[in-house]
Amino acid sequence: MKPFTYQRALSVDTAVAESSERCRLLAGGIDLLGELKEGLVEADKVVAVTRIPGLDTIEKKSAGWTIGANVTVATIAAHADLARAFPGLAAAARDVASPQIRHVSTVAGNLLQHSRCWYYRHRDVTCMKKGGDVCYAREGEHKYHALFTGGYCISPLVSSLAVALTVLDASVVVRGRGGERRLTMAELYAPAWDDHAVHHAIVPGEMLTAIEIPLAARRSAFVQASEKASFDWALVSCAVSLELEGGVVRQARIALGAVSPVPYRDERAEKALVGTRLDETTADAAAALLLEKAEPLPHNAYKVPIARALIKRALLAAATPG
Amino acid sequence: MPEWPKDPKYIGKSTPRVDGAKKVSGAAKYAHDVQPEGCLYGVVLRSRWAAAKITSIDLAPALKVRGVKAAILVREGSRQVRYYGDELAAVAATSKRAALDALRAIKVVAEPQPHVVKEHLAARPDAPRVFAETPNTGAGRERKQGDPDKGFAEADVVVEGLYATQVEIHQPMETHGGVASFKDGELTAWHSTQGISGVRDGLSGALELPQNKVRVLGEFMGGGFGSKFSAGVEGLLAARLSQAAGAPVRLMLTRFDESLAVGNRPSTFQKIRVGARADGTLTAFSMESYGCAGYAAGGPSAGGSTNSGFPAPYIYRVPNFRTRHTEVSIHAGPAAAFRAPGCPPASFGIESILDELAVKLGIDPVELRIKNDPMELRQRQYRMAAERFGWAAKYRKPGSSSGPVKTGVGCAGSAWRVPGGGTQAEIEVSPDGSVEIRCGTQDLGTGTHTVIAVVAAELLGLTPADIQVRIADSRFPPSGASGGSMTVTSVTPAVFDVCTKAIEELMRTSGLADVRGPQWRAACRKLGVSPLVLQGRWIDGLSAAGTGGVQMAEVEVDTETGFVRVKRVTCVQDAGLLVNELTARSQANGGIMMGIGYALYENRVMDSTSGVMLNPNFETYKLPGIADVPEIDVAFMDLLERRVMGIGEPVTIPTASAIANAVANAIGARVTSLPITPDKVLAALGKVPGAARDNPHDAWMSLFATQPA
Ligand SMILES: Cc1cc2nc3c(=O)[nH]c(=O)nc-3n(C[C@H](O)[C@H](O)[C@H](O)COP(=O)(O)OP(=O)(O)OC[C@H]3O[C@@H](n4cnc5c(N)ncnc54)[C@H](O)[C@@H]3O)c2cc1C
Ligand code: SF4
Repeated sequence: MKPFTYQRALSVDTAVAESSERCRLLAGGIDLLGELKEGLVEADKVVAVTRIPGLDTIEKKSAGWTIGANVTVATIAAHADLARAFPGLAAAARDVASPQIRHVSTVAGNLLQHSRCWYYRHRDVTCMKKGGDVCYAREGEHKYHALFTGGYCISPLVSSLAVALTVLDASVVVRGRGGERRLTMAELYAPAWDDHAVHHAIVPGEMLTAIEIPLAARRSAFVQASEKASFDWALVSCAVSLELEGGVVRQARIALGAVSPVPYRDERAEKALVGTRLDETTADAAAALLLEKAEPLPHNAYKVPIARALIKRALLAAATPG
Repeated sequence: MPEWPKDPKYIGKSTPRVDGAKKVSGAAKYAHDVQPEGCLYGVVLRSRWAAAKITSIDLAPALKVRGVKAAILVREGSRQVRYYGDELAAVAATSKRAALDALRAIKVVAEPQPHVVKEHLAARPDAPRVFAETPNTGAGRERKQGDPDKGFAEADVVVEGLYATQVEIHQPMETHGGVASFKDGELTAWHSTQGISGVRDGLSGALELPQNKVRVLGEFMGGGFGSKFSAGVEGLLAARLSQAAGAPVRLMLTRFDESLAVGNRPSTFQKIRVGARADGTLTAFSMESYGCAGYAAGGPSAGGSTNSGFPAPYIYRVPNFRTRHTEVSIHAGPAAAFRAPGCPPASFGIESILDELAVKLGIDPVELRIKNDPMELRQRQYRMAAERFGWAAKYRKPGSSSGPVKTGVGCAGSAWRVPGGGTQAEIEVSPDGSVEIRCGTQDLGTGTHTVIAVVAAELLGLTPADIQVRIADSRFPPSGASGGSMTVTSVTPAVFDVCTKAIEELMRTSGLADVRGPQWRAACRKLGVSPLVLQGRWIDGLSAAGTGGVQMAEVEVDTETGFVRVKRVTCVQDAGLLVNELTARSQANGGIMMGIGYALYENRVMDSTSGVMLNPNFETYKLPGIADVPEIDVAFMDLLERRVMGIGEPVTIPTASAIANAVANAIGARVTSLPITPDKVLAALGKVPGAARDNPHDAWMSLFATQPA
């Protein structure tokens, strides 16, 4: 690890002013410190944002909910009102890593965490994502990699919260030097779809300050499959939200995690559900549509049947009152 | 013949660890915690190449870094590197930061060479060679008994299968290494080791110091599982750095280092055929197998438990068999003895195919084993275990439970046969009645301190808390290394001997008819001013070898996600005469958890293109966590007449096999390689589109195709 200086920002303005290619913002540090220690990234300066006042609250306003950037994953998992409004989000938070990690990692850090591709994380491998010229995973070990991508890098998005928030039509509030912008979850990850060099749309000089979730009469659910019961990443995760009227679907959202550099959606699958009643058959048909464009590689094709099962489970769970 | 007391007060009962409070409060000092005055921080520079010729290493820039006190080469001159992580140089500095800066400053000139890190590729005739002068595979070793062809001809059914086990890494909680302090021509080393005396001899030999000028200490250590018998490259580097710097040096490996270079359990590939009569009696067994112990197998260090050989047909009685085992070398870290070397892989192959046979013959797997297991004790254990576990009610036709989440059960057996011996011990009884027992053994976390206290308390009529146990100092009377599940069988007879001698001597000096228990203090007062110090040694007749065990597992498999959950493991273990039930139970629990990791999660993943190990940390090298641990039911057969036996290793042998059989029973299809991960479960169920393309068997089959059978 290269030496760097450390500063604690007490306002968003300071953090934004400091943030640059060589100055990284630090939240819980689970992701960033790992990158620094392994020498994957270098920084001259690290600015902690977790003491900035006002960013650690969860509030319900008339238009919707606002979750401050510094709210921890554990807080989201334990927030009873939030869980009632968005059971899928609470479930996603509860499944993240382990209690220790949930207690320090923040929602912003979780959304903006970088690739967990084993090659990307390896100190002695320089793949495309780190400026090299090959993707080792494609020809090598890609058991945990993406089924859908618009580019060559197959490192999937691993943030469970991103997947859960996507189906809630959430957006993120981002402060830059020139002012504030709002991005939908799709916009937040869009650049990673085909640009192997990036992880998301936030650039140096910007800071994510909050997540906004609109109020809507939606039911939501989140399920994930892993290899271990705890302290493990999702092989595949799936979040859904449904607007139902008399048992008939009026609007549906389905997003998959860990199978694409973005939260993976396909409008065709969502539209196919509109006007139907959810049961095994309609859920499976939607699942098949959502997975139609999957491009499995030799070691990750097993994610297709897992995704299919999870989509069905999530849809049926969201459709079942409870 | 000496005999253990018939109606014991402590032996066979449950005494909490005598050092438990020290451990939970942090007062226990592990090698990792030792911080002598002025201690420097040591680090190792490792090869970034899987194969390379190192032409020069320039340490000068490292020596210029502020705070650096010493920088040394592992070996002088140009040299060959045979795996990613091989040690090249080491640095000692006043801070971690300076040491790491110095590592980065070292200039290594290397000529990278082609490497091969996958077994099936290494076996090809045109593969890059690990050792230029020899091919990566040899001709193999053959073993034969009876007439296999006749045996197969006599069989009513023959089953065949191909089974594979992964490379497993020891991953003790405390990494390898220690603190070395070289002063006035004498070396003191606090080392995390399973063998105090071996480390002393190793250091004295390598540094050309008289053995009486080297002292090795290691009162507490955090696990070794077979990988910590010697000083290791890191131990020697710490000593050399201390010598060069003139200050103590602490060199403990990082988890990254630990994953690469200090041992592992070799992988195996087993093509097995078994023939049996319609009643289940085995008539013939044949096996062609490959195994990989990393780079070392092809080199001069091959042999002993660092090769990939394993017993076959393991514990079963088969009149006719033929086996051939071939070593394959790859550019990867070397193997080391690992808890019951050879046995878990051996068990996985034979127990898997026995279940296939049972299904084919329509015989209950437990009955099939009882029929072919020559050990009467284990036959009884199967019946006991079946009773505790509820086997009869739980065992159903494979894949027959309803719903997407299916349950299944499996069983497997184990054997262990390593006798103890070769230990000396010393007792010091003070006139105030206090007792100290000294022995140059060590406590890997298994409870040696407690076991010694229990035995001494029992014999002297005192309580375990009255006994001061001092171990893990090479100045104490020597004992062997703690391996082969031999610590308890080696140490307790020596403790028995010193205690018996102390009693006799006290009886003589005090003139009392019985000096134990209530009389103890009175007798000791008669010693006058000097304590009584006596030596003793291991004596025959108190310990034995040849234990057996049986385990049964129940699992739940989600056939849509491939997720496997172990619900319950029942273990019936012959422990001979149990010395302390609580610590023995810990061993069984730990062995079973380790077996769960072997069955479901652990795997060293090598990358072909770069030659690196891809998962050198606990996030990606997956170990079972507490959430993955099922209900564990352990029953010991406490058999006084069988004398003291070691159980640390046998308890881990059958777990993975029992789990694998349970998974096959649950889903009606077999995952034939470890670890049993969701991708393989789904592929076995035929649910993965295009999985044929990725059938790992295709890759392994090429191993068997490279050489004529
Ligand atoms: C073993 C393991 C298993 C895990 N499993 C899961 C899982 O199943 N699901 C899941 O979702 N996650 C999982 N995680 C990831 C974990 O939740 C993330 O590492 C964590 O959420 C990152 O949060 P942090 O606050 O520590 O981020 P940090 O490391 O502090 O930051 C992450 C990144 O975001 C940037 N950043 C932080 N805050 C801001 C901000 N306000 N504005 C702009 N940039 C910012 C940082 O510069 C950095 O690049 C797992 C992690 C581990 C180690
Ligand atoms: S998938 Fe992406 S991050 Fe992984 S090796 Fe390929 S380019 Fe690098």
